[in-house]
Amino acid sequence: MNVAKLLEKRRVDWTELESLCDAMELRGKTDGAIPTGQPKPDEDRPGTGKKVPARKDSQHRGVNGVLRFSSLYRAACADLALADAYQLPPNTVTYLHRLVARAHHQLYRTESASPGGWIRVLFEEAPRRIFNDGCVRVAALVFFGLFALAMMMGASEERFPQFAENICGTKMLETSSASFEKPLDVAPETYAARAAFYIKHNTGIGLQCFAYGILLVPCLFTLAYNAIVLGATFGYMSREGVEGSENFFEFVTAHGPFELTAIALAAGAGMRLGMGLFYTRGLSRVDSMRAAGHRAVPIMAASAAMFIAAAFTEGFLSPSGAPYLIKVAWSIGSSALITLYFVVLGFPRPRPSSGSVVRSVRYDELSSGGGSSSWDDASSAATMGVERAT
Amino acid sequence: MRVPMLRAADHTRIMLDSRPRCCLAALGCQTTRNYFKTACMADVQPLDTTIGVVTPENIAFEYQLAGPFRRLPAYLIDVAVRWLTIFAFGLALLVFGSFMNVVSAFFGQFSQAALMTLIFLINWFYGTILEAYFNGRTIGKWICGIRVIEVDGRPISPRSALLRNLLRIADLAPMLPLSSLGEELPLVYMIPTGIFGLVSMTMTRRMQRLGDLAAGTMVVVDERKWQLPIAKVEDARVPALASYIPGDYRISRKMARTLATYAERRQYLPATRRREIARSLADRLIQRFEFRKDIDPDLLLYSLYYKTFLAEPNEAEADLGPLAGYSPLAKDVGKAMGLDAPRPSIIPASAPASPSSSVTTASPVDSRINR
Repeated sequence: MNVAKLLEKRRVDWTELESLCDAMELRGKTDGAIPTGQPKPDEDRPGTGKKVPARKDSQHRGVNGVLRFSSLYRAACADLALADAYQLPPNTVTYLHRLVARAHHQLYRTESASPGGWIRVLFEEAPRRIFNDGCVRVAALVFFGLFALAMMMGASEERFPQFAENICGTKMLETSSASFEKPLDVAPETYAARAAFYIKHNTGIGLQCFAYGILLVPCLFTLAYNAIVLGATFGYMSREGVEGSENFFEFVTAHGPFELTAIALAAGAGMRLGMGLFYTRGLSRVDSMRAAGHRAVPIMAASAAMFIAAAFTEGFLSPSGAPYLIKVAWSIGSSALITLYFVVLGFPRPRPSSGSVVRSVRYDELSSGGGSSSWDDASSAATMGVERAT
Repeated sequence: MRVPMLRAADHTRIMLDSRPRCCLAALGCQTTRNYFKTACMADVQPLDTTIGVVTPENIAFEYQLAGPFRRLPAYLIDVAVRWLTIFAFGLALLVFGSFMNVVSAFFGQFSQAALMTLIFLINWFYGTILEAYFNGRTIGKWICGIRVIEVDGRPISPRSALLRNLLRIADLAPMLPLSSLGEELPLVYMIPTGIFGLVSMTMTRRMQRLGDLAAGTMVVVDERKWQLPIAKVEDARVPALASYIPGDYRISRKMARTLATYAERRQYLPATRRREIARSLADRLIQRFEFRKDIDPDLLLYSLYYKTFLAEPNEAEADLGPLAGYSPLAKDVGKAMGLDAPRPSIIPASAPASPSSSVTTASPVDSRINR
């Protein structure tokens, strides 16, 4: 058979596959694929051996459509595989590459992100990664260390005069101190708007810190900058005689644990990403980056969840006129939750058996089925030992 | 291994190809001998913007990678879509809110909160959500005909989509301050330069930006329409000449590929250029077939193409009418060719020493024949 004939014969299938692809791309279903404009081969050539069934609308509906699609796809794959043997012209081969690629996209689709999957990531994968991740430890140390240092330096006015003022600017410190002069009692209508603002602003900063982690330096800078500015503000507010300091600490108590942990986690995830470039553990650099990226995502997800929890607290509880006791209770409660999350959920445990057929046993376990005398001796000794022990 | 050939649609491919050979061939300014040497003999790698993907069906198909010039418009469209969506929602909330404000003052604050959350979600997760649910395409990518896939050819997973979209901000870095546009503007770092992403794209084999590297994804061209090309032979002299080609000539695979490439390309070339390109291969074929030396090389290659790809093996005797009694065989050179000895239509007017001279000397008859 010559190539022209072969092409003419296969072309019918290819155009049908194309119309199916069209339908899938438009509607995500094979329903209503337009029958091709080609003359129907079974009517034109009733005597040919391979009979293509008549295309009706019903043929492309539901299961039939999917089956037809997959068989056509496999046929096109086979054509492409045999293109060299058939000596197809290069243009036709290119056409086949495109066609197969297009159908491939429709056949193999993204597994949709189920909410259950993300819950599993958040409560199973993330805490274990956080527990084991060195970068998170470093980030937490850097953040809380700098925070504590800046707070001490900002608080002791005699030893480090003007430290807080130099870091944050006198004007900003005065405005923040002035804004806390009145007791906390924000109108409840504004709670939602405040929470939304904190979600947008703080989570945005966290995500940005994470993203810059791949360049490593900007991530560390963001982390250190936030630690020092926050610490200096805290230190300034804890000085004697600063107005509004009580209200300030009342305000930050409730959402502090979530927010500070979230910043450290975001930076830790970012550093994990950036370290993948330098510390490759025997992988190629690109593969190492890829592995690091996939390891960092759960940590970032946990961080984002904490940012959002902190934003809701900051929007609804912190500015409210609720008694200080409740805010302290929430603060302690959230700290306990975070600890439980890290330690209990994150504690390394043996993996549940993955259902593998191959398993390892000790030699004395093998002997119980009977065998050579030495095995029997060993097993009897073992049983004697057990008896003695009991 | 495929012959580098040129298609009208493949400007990007040619542009991005770093090797000069293909570009020269595209311009037709390389010597024909070298062209055919590359096409026939050397094992030619596919262009370096082509990536093969092996599917579970155990076949490999090829993708064309999308470079920065395809991806930038897609990104700009996405930015526009993002802000238009936010703007539309904001307007709707404003209109709706002014109605609801009659009922309670609470709603105004609530709509503000909703808008803020929406801006956050759309700005950070627009790409993630669209790529995860629409099979690796956002609206901009869909318009520009590109798609994100994993480096191993699978569709993109939600986790990869999340990662590559979060890291976009690092690819757009470093940011220039707004005050670089004008003195009075505030010192806010918000003009993206995209240097990191561009450098990363040019340095990696799959043209990945940093986000792609971390997520293990790549962006490929997702051609929607591609007409199946069929070369049809309209020239009546071709089947006739093909019937003179000896039956014992077995065409090699490389030769077949070269012929197909030539047949696809020849319609874009002028007649003189065709002869020039075809000559080096045709000369050997003329010797092998024992044809006349002055036969049109282009027609000879085209006939061989016809015989290889299009002709039926057991076809009835070809109609020799179009040749008008002319025989291409070398042994028939001296013979009379009919009563009035018509000008042999297969032979070019004069064996052209240079393309320019052949143009000037071509007779009207000849130009009709060679189109």
